[in-house]
Amino acid sequence: MNALAQLGAAFLGVCQPVSIAFMVAGVAIGIIFGSIPGLSASMAVALMLPLTFTMEASLGMNVLVAVYIGGISGGLISAILLNMPGTASSIATTFDGYPMAQKGQAMRALGIGIVFSFLGSLFSFFVLSFFAPMLADVALKFTPVENFGICFFALTMVAILSSGNMVKGLLAGLFGLVFCFVGMAPIDGTPRFIFGNQDLLAGFNQLTTLIGIFAVADILISAEEMNAKGVQTIPVTKVKGFGFSMKEFISWLPGALRSAIIGTGIGILPGIGGSTSGMLSYVTAKNMSKHPETFGQGEPEGIVATECANNATIGGAMIPLLVLGIPGDGVTAMMLGGFLIHGLSAGPLLFVKNADVVYGIFAACMVCDLIMLVVEWTCIKAFVQVLKVPKHILMPLILVLCAVGAYATNNRVFDVQSIIVFGIVGYIYHKFKLPTTPFVLCFLVGSMTETYLRRGIMSYKSFGAFFTHPIFDFFWFVACGVLIWSVFKEFKAAQQKKAAAKA
Amino acid sequence: MFFKKYGDFVVGIFYAVLGIALIIGAKALPKSKVMEIGPDFMPTLVGVIILVLAGILLVETFTKFKANAAELEASGFKDTSDYKRVLGSLVSAIIYVNILKPVGFIVSTLVYLIIQIYILAPDNKRTKKDLIQYAIIDVVFTVVVYFLFRYGFKIVLPGGILAF
Repeated sequence: MNALAQLGAAFLGVCQPVSIAFMVAGVAIGIIFGSIPGLSASMAVALMLPLTFTMEASLGMNVLVAVYIGGISGGLISAILLNMPGTASSIATTFDGYPMAQKGQAMRALGIGIVFSFLGSLFSFFVLSFFAPMLADVALKFTPVENFGICFFALTMVAILSSGNMVKGLLAGLFGLVFCFVGMAPIDGTPRFIFGNQDLLAGFNQLTTLIGIFAVADILISAEEMNAKGVQTIPVTKVKGFGFSMKEFISWLPGALRSAIIGTGIGILPGIGGSTSGMLSYVTAKNMSKHPETFGQGEPEGIVATECANNATIGGAMIPLLVLGIPGDGVTAMMLGGFLIHGLSAGPLLFVKNADVVYGIFAACMVCDLIMLVVEWTCIKAFVQVLKVPKHILMPLILVLCAVGAYATNNRVFDVQSIIVFGIVGYIYHKFKLPTTPFVLCFLVGSMTETYLRRGIMSYKSFGAFFTHPIFDFFWFVACGVLIWSVFKEFKAAQQKKAAAKA
Repeated sequence: MFFKKYGDFVVGIFYAVLGIALIIGAKALPKSKVMEIGPDFMPTLVGVIILVLAGILLVETFTKFKANAAELEASGFKDTSDYKRVLGSLVSAIIYVNILKPVGFIVSTLVYLIIQIYILAPDNKRTKKDLIQYAIIDVVFTVVVYFLFRYGFKIVLPGGILAF
């Protein structure tokens, strides 16, 4: 009950007019940064940090939290409307969000995405408020071995993703792994497959790859039939409220809860991140669904799963950040810096010494979440105006934005050039009917898998020693089970088809 | 037509070559001296898996080839894709990303945007009036993006020949 009382007191502190006004501004700035690919949440936090210097410590931290939350959730807007993931976390949102927008359901898709982003974060903040110290202990139990288990598990999800045409799906995914090898190898830094090109040494950037394979490829694909179809604009059906009924909402809730748990769980583990949690939750939703074939065609449950999970990762990621002082990725590292500047030293003693500040942050998280919901919802109508621009004008503008975004990530022209390379890959995939989803999943998880595998072997000498870790065993055997089961199902389906053809 | 008929063959052969290249490429990498698996382990593993799967795909395609081809003939499928626009867009995009740094963002974007919009525009949307509209969009968009990034997000895009 103590936590509840402190949280209540913190809410009173956060809900001052001045602080609310600053948080609204922070969330809005975060959303802008989040929705433009290349401008990440960590850049938004870095840019806002100096502005908070002169503020009171608590106000400064509230603003940083606001920018962070806005930055993560903003990615869904461009993912749904333009098929261009604004942040790496929102890749899986494009799978179903963009088809929905193409069918004229852009407002509904945005409404669903926003509401479930809100619920996902809210869930994770409650977990954060009440169980943070306990869960931090779990995070400490995760060695590279366990992380390798999770990565391997994520990789086997490709088999589920590509059911129906498994061989091609797996090949499509493995090509993504090949791109991970380019650059310096993990641990020892041996240059691999760089063909004497210095730019390749750092490898391919995640976001530029995603921009290329989705947005740039999309431009080439739509160029195919631009003339035949004449001037095209995407219709937008107006909706009331958030665009879904209470009945639909209730039917999505179990899936949302599962996704939120996945998201929070993955968030707690430092170094895995929102993009993986969104993908994992999407695949799980597809696998658990009674109608998996609708996923990828504009299935609302796909958006529910991803948005819930990637936003729940925020609360999860703050657990090791606050309790142990371990930042999981770029954004949280930036946040840690911000907290330090405002005199808060994250670490085990935080909950004992600065309990009031910690609960202040929790309260700010929840309030910012609500602000995010209100701000994005009021702006839906403005967002969908983008779709009124005819495609032959919109597409080139998107390409320029992609190029700028790719340049902004690292200030390298090489990244801009690589979006075109991946655009070509995406187009060729489309032409040869290879699915892009496995490619993306493998590309995201590939380098992590190798890093953890080799780090694990470095610490425990042999692969056999991995099996003494029960958490690893669990993921490993579930993954193997999934793999065998998928192959079996595929084989059976092929035989049925053969029998049907004969009859 | 080509993609429908020979698509899986091309995919299979491409991956088989890729798998072999990976294995050969990985052989050239140095072995790790301190632990069981070095930087060559994962590429070799992935190369072998790719090679096996490509083999399965090729065999599968080969056995079904005749039936599929007959089915395709019967369906009367025709490829209506407009490759002129695809190729034009691709070439202009490639040129754009390569001149971005030396020429600078403003000039290269001004030129690229108008050409790209023209390439993509349907035939009946290429009148003089439309072109003027495209030009206005082009100029406004380029300038707004440049200054928004420069002063709003503190990201200086390549200045090139028009540096200020």
